[in-house]
Amino acid sequence: MVDIATTARRKIIKGIDLKYQPGFSQITWFCIVVLYAPIAVLVLFSFNENRSVTVWTQFSLDWYVKAWENEGIQHAALVSLEVAFVAMVISTILATMAALVTTRTPPYRGMNIAVAVINQPLMVPEVVTAVATLIFFAIIKQATGISGIGYLIAAHTAFCIPFAYMPIRARLEDMDLSLEQAAADLYAPPFKVFRRVTLPLLMPGILAGAMLAFIVSLDDVIITLFVAGPGETTLPLYILGQIRRGVTPEINAVSTVFLGISVILVTFIFLFGKDKK
Amino acid sequence: MKSKIFMMIMAMSLTFTVGTVSAAGELHIYNWGNYTSPEMIEKFEKMHDVKVTLDGYDSNETMLAKVEQGGSGYDIVVPGDYMIAIMIKKGLLERIEPNKMSNFKNVDPKWVDVYWDKGRNYSIPYQWGTTNFTVDSTIYKGDVDTLALLFDPPAELKGRINMLKDMNDVINAGLRYLTYPRCNADKAQLKELNTMLVKAKANWRTMDYSVIEKLTSKDVDLSQSWNGAAMRARKDRPELVYSYPKEGFTGWMDNVAVLKGAPNLENAKLFINFMMTPEAAGMTSNLASYANGILGSEKHMRAELTSAPEIVMPAGAPAPEFVPPCPQEVTDLYSKIWTNLNK
Repeated sequence: MVDIATTARRKIIKGIDLKYQPGFSQITWFCIVVLYAPIAVLVLFSFNENRSVTVWTQFSLDWYVKAWENEGIQHAALVSLEVAFVAMVISTILATMAALVTTRTPPYRGMNIAVAVINQPLMVPEVVTAVATLIFFAIIKQATGISGIGYLIAAHTAFCIPFAYMPIRARLEDMDLSLEQAAADLYAPPFKVFRRVTLPLLMPGILAGAMLAFIVSLDDVIITLFVAGPGETTLPLYILGQIRRGVTPEINAVSTVFLGISVILVTFIFLFGKDKK
Repeated sequence: MKSKIFMMIMAMSLTFTVGTVSAAGELHIYNWGNYTSPEMIEKFEKMHDVKVTLDGYDSNETMLAKVEQGGSGYDIVVPGDYMIAIMIKKGLLERIEPNKMSNFKNVDPKWVDVYWDKGRNYSIPYQWGTTNFTVDSTIYKGDVDTLALLFDPPAELKGRINMLKDMNDVINAGLRYLTYPRCNADKAQLKELNTMLVKAKANWRTMDYSVIEKLTSKDVDLSQSWNGAAMRARKDRPELVYSYPKEGFTGWMDNVAVLKGAPNLENAKLFINFMMTPEAAGMTSNLASYANGILGSEKHMRAELTSAPEIVMPAGAPAPEFVPPCPQEVTDLYSKIWTNLNK
C-alpha cells in the first residue's frame, strides 16, 4: 500500500516537473547506440588477428603495422593531410574576412544575400556541386592545359569556407562592440584595433573554424572522387576503392586512426569554443 | 604560441614539398582499388625510367563518370568487359592496336575475339573470373556441376543456401537452368522463371554478398560465389568444392586500355606491351588472385593459384558466357522479378 502511494506521489511530482520529458532518455540512448555501435564494432575488429571483419579470434596489432607499411595508404594519407591543411588555411582566412564584413560593417544592401552565398555549399546537394565542379574544371584543364593538385585544393577550400565561417561569425556576434569602440576612442587606427583587440578576442572562433574546415576536408568523399586527378587519391577515396576486393581489418585500422584524429580535433573545437566566454 | 603555430606551418609545408622525385617520364594509372601489384609497377618503372602514379576506383561507373568529361589526366584504365564496349562506342579509348605489338603473341587466342573488342584493337586482358557456386562436399556428396543444387536442391541442402544479392547473377543462373536465352524479353518464359525462383527461394537461407563470412562461419553449406571468394573461403573450410555447372555460367574480364588524349601516350603503349609479358601478368595474378589470359604466366604465379580448381577451369567445363548489358525493356522486366523475389 505504502509503495503504491509513493510511486503515485512520485508520478505526480514528475508530472509537475516541467523539465521532465517522459521517454526522452530512452530515445537518447537508442540514438546513441544506433550511431555509435557500428563504429565500436569497426574499432574492435581493427584489433582482430585474422582477416575477417566479422569473426573475432584474437587481439593483435598486426593490421596497424600492415597499414603503416602500406605505401598506398601512406601516400593517400599524405595527400589527405596536404589538401586538408592548405584548404584549411585559405578557407579560414577567407571565412574570417567574410565574417568581419558581415558583422562589423554597417548593414548594406545585399548583406543577407552575401551570407546566403557564403553558406551555399551547405545547402546544395554535394553530388550536384561535385558534378558541376568536375565539368567546370575539365573545361579549364582543356583550355589551359594546366593540371595538378591545385584543382582539388580549390574545390576543398570552397566547401570548407562555410564551415569555417559559422564559428567565427558566432564568436564575432558574441563579442562586445564596446571594447573595439573604446580602442577607437583612444585614437587607435582601424588596423591596430583589429590586431590588438578584435583578432585576439576572435582567436578561439578562428581556431574552431579552422579545425572544422580541416575535418570536413579530411572526410570528404564525393567532391574529391570527382575532382581528384592522377596521384591525388585521398584516404577516404583509398578506402572506397577497396570495397570490391573485400574490406580487410587493415581498413578498420586506418579508419580507427582517422576516427581518433577527428575525435581529438572535435574535442579541441569544443574546448576552444567554451573558454574565455 | 603564435610563433609556434607558424613554425608548425612551416615544418608541415616543408615536408610536403620534399618527396617529389623526377623521372624521365610519367604514367598515370587508374585501376580498381587494391588490384595492382606494386612489384609489377616497380619493375615497369625501372625498365623504362617512368614514374607511375596509381589511383583506385570502386566501380566501372565511377571511372566512366570521371573520364567522360576529358582532361582527367589519366593514361591507363582497367574497365570490365561491357564497359570497354561502352567506352569504345563513346570514343573514349585510344585505338592503340595491341594486336600489332611485340608481346601480343602471349595473349591466349581465346581472349582475342571477344565481343567487347573484336580482334583486340583497344585493350588487352588483365584478370578474369567466373561466377558460380561453391558447396560443402561432406554435406552434399553427389554431382556438384548442376544448377539444380540452387533451384531444386536435395534435402540436405534445403535451407542451407546463400545466393548473391545480385539481380543479373541470380536471373541469368535461373534462365540457364530453364535453358532460356539471356537478355530475355519473352513474357511467358519470364513468368515461368518468376514462379521457379519464388519456389526455389523457399529453400534459400539468405541473399547476401558476404560469401566468405557466410561459408566460413558455417551459416550456410552452399553459396553462389565469385571464384576468387570461393578460393579464399576454401582456405578456411577445405571441404568446399567449386561448381562449373553443365548448364553454363557467367564470366567477367577486366581489360587494360588507354584513354583517348592520354598525356603520356608513348609510355601507356609501353605499359600495354609490358602487361602482355608472362611475368607482369603473373605478378598481377599473385596480388589479385584471379587468372590473367596471358600464356606462360603460370611460371610466375604462386603454386596455389596454378592448382586451384576455382582459378584453373577443368577441361570438360563449358566456356564462360560473357553477358552484354541488356536493353532497357529487359532490365525493367528483370527488376520486377527481382523486386518480387526480394519481397
